[in-house]
Amino acid sequence: MSRLRSTVLGGLLLAAAPVISGGAALAAPEDALRPVEKYTTVREKSLASAHRTRLLQFAAQIYNCLPWLAVYPGELGFRQARDNQGNDLYLSMWIWVDQREDASFAALSQQRRVSAMFSRYGVDMLRRMAELSDVLDDRNVAGLSVVLSWLKPGTSRPGRQAVNETLALFVDKATAMDFLAKRVAPDEFASRSQFTLFDGLDAVGRVPLEVWEDSFNSTYKVNSYEPPKGAQCQ
Amino acid sequence: MRAWLSLASFIGGVLMLTAACATSEEWSEWRSHTTHFASGTHGMFSMRNNKDGSNPRVSRTDIDSARQENWWGKAITVSPEQIFQN
Repeated sequence: MSRLRSTVLGGLLLAAAPVISGGAALAAPEDALRPVEKYTTVREKSLASAHRTRLLQFAAQIYNCLPWLAVYPGELGFRQARDNQGNDLYLSMWIWVDQREDASFAALSQQRRVSAMFSRYGVDMLRRMAELSDVLDDRNVAGLSVVLSWLKPGTSRPGRQAVNETLALFVDKATAMDFLAKRVAPDEFASRSQFTLFDGLDAVGRVPLEVWEDSFNSTYKVNSYEPPKGAQCQ
Repeated sequence: MRAWLSLASFIGGVLMLTAACATSEEWSEWRSHTTHFASGTHGMFSMRNNKDGSNPRVSRTDIDSARQENWWGKAITVSPEQIFQN
């Protein structure tokens, strides 16, 4: 009980402190899409053009309905993993999570934070991307990629340089769909996925990833927040 | 000397166990309370709304403005080139 009280008090004190934004420039929905001119091959340009309208709608839904998240400018599109030997293209989205300093989050080890953030935000974003069936059905799309960045606890204190932790995950379409339909267990999903953790600029590499059910991202509502008229939030 | 070593080992063991339990407890607390922590926007707007006793609606633009107003530095983040090929 005293722990809960102290955590609540800590939260209130933190609310009084200056809010630290995690480094993502603010991107309106149209800025979230990777510009067509940045693609280098005909296949990539063709994919981007074919699905532009759908991805714009998707970006708008995130912008309007999930205001605690932000898509990095130009980071919603079709990408290849850096270590990919072939030329597989993934529908990819890089999200910044507005996670402020929090005592219980800071108490977790780095690998636990990764599991927590992926379970809370990564799985739900995969689910939302998987619902773009017209995009996923495109034979040029090999899989899904979610990149999550959040403020590393303790680095936003005065006099320190704020640092983001980033998890970049790539998974093939079949595994993603089977995992979301609960036909593939979380540990199997993790073992089939390609992922890397970055601590600021430093590559930490693959860490143990535990994935569990967390409905926060699909149920949370910002107090008094009103989505723009016409926004369809589910 | 031997007694001191035993005592030091005992204290070290207790400290390790305590630390492990605390971590485990914190972990389970965070995991079980899905709305235990919230985004900065949530805390920020709760405070703002309560300040004058009113409860104004918060728009998406308000959130953007608040983030920009409170922005004081850029967090070090991995570059896209470290993640993607193209």
